[in-house]
Amino acid sequence: MIISKKVEFSASHICRSPVLSDEDNFRVYGAAANPLGHGHNYVVEVAIVGEPDPVTGMILDLKRLKEILEVKVLDVYDHRLLNGEVEPFDRIVPTVENIAIDIWNRLVAKIDDTGRARLYSVRVHETNELFVEYRGE
Amino acid sequence: MTVSLSRKYTFCASHRLHSSALSDEANRAIYGKCNNPNGHGHNYEVELTVHGQVDAVTGRVVALEMLDRLAEEQILTPLRHRNLNQEIDAFRTAVPTTENLAFEIDRRLRSVWKCFFGDSGPTLETVRIWETERNICEIAVIR
Repeated sequence: MIISKKVEFSASHICRSPVLSDEDNFRVYGAAANPLGHGHNYVVEVAIVGEPDPVTGMILDLKRLKEILEVKVLDVYDHRLLNGEVEPFDRIVPTVENIAIDIWNRLVAKIDDTGRARLYSVRVHETNELFVEYRGE
Repeated sequence: MTVSLSRKYTFCASHRLHSSALSDEANRAIYGKCNNPNGHGHNYEVELTVHGQVDAVTGRVVALEMLDRLAEEQILTPLRHRNLNQEIDAFRTAVPTTENLAFEIDRRLRSVWKCFFGDSGPTLETVRIWETERNICEIAVIR
């Protein structure tokens, strides 16, 4: 069985690669390459998979999942400039693809440690028209 | 590392659900109000899901500008503000249900996909169409 939880954070970012020219950066990322940055209200959907505990009927206590998401994602990402303030975006471009992979990496061991539940997927919505899903593959 | 990226587009079009292989009575029974001879329209939403490796330099799985251009050329420009039955070849014979519209959009995208993205580029994983908020059709490649 899969259960999903949604959380939201707001952050700014700049989509520019230091190994690309100015012209190439604007060609690849469009307006998102603006060196002054811009922001989004990101919505993160975290899905976990497992069998419900026969006594509690839960795969994972949702209060526990909420705490994990607050500490591992929101405390790190919310109201930050991703490029300067959140590792690994001092080294890689904070595209929505890389954000989904980073959130997976921050959560995977913590969720697996809880016992019954395993992390199944991380979805990150950057706008209503764009989202990414990563399943650790 | 592979990810799936989904992007949504909208267009408006009109259609009438009517099969020439069925009687008028059967058409009305199957399609209900959608069989109105004068036609009617929808604000369609199309969500494309693309799957592939994230490029180490750009951090992108697909060049969004190219995906937008492909969607514009193959879906939005040809279908926007059209009467699907009368103006789109595929629907001169097939009934423009959401199901058949999904097949047509999937076919249009796949016919030029390799030209746009090459053999080693991302793959088209899912085409999902909203005819209304409650009526959604999906064509998916299972991975």
